[in-house]
Amino acid sequence: MAAIVEAVNLKKTYLLGKVPVEALRGVNLKVEHGDFLAILGPSGSGKSTLLNLIGALDKPTEGKMLIENVDISTLNDNQLADLRRRIGFVFQFFNLIPRFTARENVELSMSIADMSKAERKKHAEDLLETVGLKERMNHKPTELSGGEQQRVAIARALANNPRFLLMDEPTGNIDSKTANEIIGLIKRLNEEKGVTIIMVTHDQHLATQAKRTVQMFDGIITGEIVN
Amino acid sequence: MKTGDVFSYSFSAIKLRKLRAGLTTLGVVIGIAAIVALLSITQGLQDTISAQLQKGFATDTLIVSTGRGFGIGAMGGVGGINSGFKLFVNDTQTINKIDNVTMSTAIIERFGSIKLGETVWNTTIMGVDFAKYASIYSSTFVAESGVIPQSPDNETIVIGKRVSDPWKNNTLLFNISDTVEIIWLNATARPQKNENYTGHIEGVLKEIGGFGIVGPSDFYIYIPISQAQKFFGTDECDMIIVKLNSDNKAVINSVSKAIKEAFSNQASVTSATAVLDILSSVISTVQLFLAGIAAISLLVAGIGIMNIMIVSLIERTREIGILKALGMKSRTVLLIFLSEAAIIGLLGAAIGIGSGWVLANMVAILFSGRGAFTQLQGDQAAAAGGMTITPVLTPTVLLGALVFGIGVSIIFALYPAWRASKLKPVDALRYE
Repeated sequence: MAAIVEAVNLKKTYLLGKVPVEALRGVNLKVEHGDFLAILGPSGSGKSTLLNLIGALDKPTEGKMLIENVDISTLNDNQLADLRRRIGFVFQFFNLIPRFTARENVELSMSIADMSKAERKKHAEDLLETVGLKERMNHKPTELSGGEQQRVAIARALANNPRFLLMDEPTGNIDSKTANEIIGLIKRLNEEKGVTIIMVTHDQHLATQAKRTVQMFDGIITGEIVN
Repeated sequence: MKTGDVFSYSFSAIKLRKLRAGLTTLGVVIGIAAIVALLSITQGLQDTISAQLQKGFATDTLIVSTGRGFGIGAMGGVGGINSGFKLFVNDTQTINKIDNVTMSTAIIERFGSIKLGETVWNTTIMGVDFAKYASIYSSTFVAESGVIPQSPDNETIVIGKRVSDPWKNNTLLFNISDTVEIIWLNATARPQKNENYTGHIEGVLKEIGGFGIVGPSDFYIYIPISQAQKFFGTDECDMIIVKLNSDNKAVINSVSKAIKEAFSNQASVTSATAVLDILSSVISTVQLFLAGIAAISLLVAGIGIMNIMIVSLIERTREIGILKALGMKSRTVLLIFLSEAAIIGLLGAAIGIGSGWVLANMVAILFSGRGAFTQLQGDQAAAAGGMTITPVLTPTVLLGALVFGIGVSIIFALYPAWRASKLKPVDALRYE
C-alpha cells in the first residue's frame, strides 16, 4: 500500500539566535493508510519539529517530506495551505477560537475549505455527535471542560475528511480519566472509521495505545515497537 | 473561504472588542462628518449665492461701467481705474450700434433718502429708463401694487418692496399714491446742500430677494432717468446695462470686446456669467481648502486604524496560526484584516455622513435660520442677513465621503494585514 506520509532522510536545523540547532538529523518514516502511529520521545527529541513537517507547517532543511507522494519542499504557500486542509490537526492546547461556539469552531474549518453554509451546519452537527458533544455544541470553549474542548478539536480536525489526523499530545492537558475517554475516541476513529492517526507524545502509556510506536531521541528515530 | 464567510469572520472579530472598535470608528466618523458638514455648507453657500445673483442678474446682459467706485466693475472687468474716464447717458447710442446688442439703458445711481411726513428712509436712488429697464429685467422689475408706467412723468417714483415694508410685517412706511419728498445731498455744490423734489409713488415692486447688486433691488427706489439727470445735475451715468440677443459665451465675449474698443479700452464690461464664474471658483477654492483640513482628521483616524490593527494582529497571532494550520491561505488572512478595516470604514463613513448632515443643518439654522429640518427663528434672521443657506449634499459628496472613508481605512490597514498574512504558521502557533 502506498504511504500517505513518508519522511526520507529528513533534516531540520534551526537558528537559535546565532547558534544552529539540529532538531532533526535524518529521520526516515513511513505511515500507511489506516495506521495509528505514536511518535514517542522526551522533550527536545525533535518530535514536535517532525510533527510540524508532517503537518506541512514548516519545510525541511534537507531530505524529503512526502505527503501522498508530494514533496512539500516543492509547494508554494497556497499549495501548502491546500495541503493542510487535507490534514486534521489536534493540538495539546486545543487551539479553539474562543469567541466561537463548538459548532462554529468545527464549521470554521469547513468554511476555510469553501463548504456551503447549509452543508456545514449538518456536517458539524454529525461530527459533534460522533465525538459525543451534540448536547453542548452551542457552548463556547470557556464553557467546556478540557476533555470536551479536545473533542471539539477532534471534530474540527475531521471536518474536511482529512487523509490523516495529526495529534500533538492530545491528552497532555487533561485529567487522566478524561484522557482515557479521549484515547478511546481516537482508537474508535481508527478502528471503526479507518482514520489514519499520527500522534506525538512523551507519555509511554498513551503511546502503547497506538498500533505501533516509534521512539525518538536527539533528532533521530531510535527504535520501533509494534504494539 | 467565501466572501460572505470572510466578512462574517471579520465582523465576529470586531464584535469581540466593541469599545475599541467603537473608538476607532469614532475617528472615522469625526473625519467624515467634518468633510460632509463643510462641503454641504459651502455647497449650500455657493448655490445660495448663485441663485441670489441670478435673481438680480440676467445672463444675457452686460454691465458697462467706468470701473470706479462700483464693486462689480472692479470684480469682473478691466477698466480704466482713476483714468478720468466718464460714461454718459447718451453713450447708449454708441453701444446700440454694436452687433448682437438688442438694447441698452443707462443708470444714474445716488445715495439719498425718501421722506413722508416725519419718516425719512435712507436708500439708493436709481435713475432708470422705466420701459427699457422693465424690459431687460422683465421678471424682477415688476409692480406688486400700482404700475410701472411706460412713459412716466418726472415726478413718478417706483419703490422696492423693502422700502415700502422694511420689516416684512405690513408696517408700510411708503405706499402707492403717497406724495413723498426725494432728498439728495449734493456734495459737489459749494456749500454742500440738500437737493429735493416732491414726487408720487406709482408702484411698489414685488419682492425680489437676492442681493440686488446690479439688477432691481428690494432696497432701492427708482425715478425716471430724465428726472435723475435734471435732479442730480449731470449727464454722466454710473453704468449702462446692455441686453444681448443671446447668452452664448462667444456672443458675450465679442460684444464685451467691441464695447471696450468703442470706449478706447477704458470702460469696464462685466457679464453676469463672469461674476458667477469668479464667485464659483473662489468658493470652490475655499471648499477645497476646508475639505483638506477635514481630510487631515480622517488621516489621523487612519493612523488610529493602523495602530489598532497592529495591536489586534499581535493579539491574534496564535489565532492566525490556527487559521493557517486549518488550511487558510495568506490571501484570505489578508482579506480578513482588510475587511475588518472596511467594515469600520463603512460604519464610520455612514454614521459620519449622517452626523455631518445633521451638523451642517444645525450650523445653517444658527447661521441663517434655514435648515432642512425646521425654520426656527427663520425670517427675522434671514431678513437681517439678507441671505439664507440650505446645506446641499450632492451625490458626489455622499459617494465620495463613503469611498474616502472606506478607502482610508483600507489603505491604513494594508500594512498590518500584510504582516498578518505573512506570519509563518509554525511561528504563529508557538506564539504565547
